[in-house]
Amino acid sequence: MDLFKKYGFIMLIGTGVFVALIFYSLNVPRNREANVIERVVMTVFSPILKPAVRLSGFFEDAWDGYVNLVDVKRENLKLRDEIKELNTRLVAGNEAQKSNQRLQHLLEMKNTVKAPSLSASVVGEDVSSWFRTVIIDRGSSSGIRDGMAVVAADGVVGQIVKTAPTTSRVLLLTDHSSGIAATIQRSRARGVVKGKEGGLCSLEFTTRDEDVKVGDMVVSSGIGGLFLKGLPIGEVTMVKRGEYGIFQTVTIRPAVNIAHLEEVLVVLRGGYE
Amino acid sequence: MSRRSALLLGSAVVFAVVFQASVLPIHIDTPFKPDLLLIIMAYLALRGSFELGTPMAWLLGLLKDIFSGLYLGLNAFSFLLVFLVIKSVADRLYAESGFLFVVTVVVATLISATVNLLLLLMFTDTPGIAYSMFAGLIPHLLVNSFAASLVALLPAFERDQDVA
Repeated sequence: MDLFKKYGFIMLIGTGVFVALIFYSLNVPRNREANVIERVVMTVFSPILKPAVRLSGFFEDAWDGYVNLVDVKRENLKLRDEIKELNTRLVAGNEAQKSNQRLQHLLEMKNTVKAPSLSASVVGEDVSSWFRTVIIDRGSSSGIRDGMAVVAADGVVGQIVKTAPTTSRVLLLTDHSSGIAATIQRSRARGVVKGKEGGLCSLEFTTRDEDVKVGDMVVSSGIGGLFLKGLPIGEVTMVKRGEYGIFQTVTIRPAVNIAHLEEVLVVLRGGYE
Repeated sequence: MSRRSALLLGSAVVFAVVFQASVLPIHIDTPFKPDLLLIIMAYLALRGSFELGTPMAWLLGLLKDIFSGLYLGLNAFSFLLVFLVIKSVADRLYAESGFLFVVTVVVATLISATVNLLLLLMFTDTPGIAYSMFAGLIPHLLVNSFAASLVALLPAFERDQDVA
């Protein structure tokens, strides 16, 4: 009895461990089948497990959602900034591409002009509604003088009228005061291109027997030495010959789109001293 | 003229020139450009003193000539004339009224255009300018009166009685 008292606890533990081992060894061959204990416990727990999983999932989602939301706001702001930056780059890219095309055309014109020339950007327009002049960002310090010819990629723009050290004003060919010696490219009929209303020009002093047709190209004649010979001025859009009078009325649409003028070339030749 | 008024006037003139020459042409067609310098001159004629307003009107016209056309002194003369006409009746007008200001700007635009046309026809060789001016006069009047009505809405228009 004393022995049992002395070693009873150890024996109990040893027996328990032994029973557990036997239990395990007996279940090893049937490891793929659920025994009674397993079936009972699983049956008891099955109604609880499903909602527990759902609840756990809900909490997981809620937690993740919350944690994500904290980041989402920051990420949203970051993405918005990135979109803004990308949009800005896209606009700048498109602008650069268009600018590149314009400058390429201008360069082509520069190569055809057989005189030194200087590129300039249009920085302003006439503040009045009656006159047609533009302001360019080059002036007398760049060698520009009053009277010099100004051309763009598509043709004649006008002439320099007032120069300051860093800016100049260009009298457009559509201004009423402008006058450019011109000739019809096809028939070589001569006249003077003057500005008229509506952004158009007229070919003045062309006698009524001269051959001028709608669609004819008008180019600078080079007379007077201001504009080089052969620069495109515009296209004839209307010809009127009255019964009387010496001259015919010829309306010209300028080759250059005056309303969207951005870059021009100043021909560094001639001009008034 | 107080220092604040001088500063305001100077800023308004610089703003008007830059806005009219470089900003507006990009966004709107030429006939729809308001004549902001003329509006400033009309404001001076209604609110300013004779002594200061007279040379200022001439200078404003001169400034316009520097950025417009070929003929320096054309607008300077017409602005001076318009200023003197408005000033001669300004004392009998309720100069604080926004509506009157708009009417004054319309009248100033008409007189200025007429004087410009007469001077151009008398002294220069600009055939066809009369047609262009007549064609553009109505939109010009409308735009100027619209711009003047916006100026009349400014808080400074109500408060600033001491231009000179």
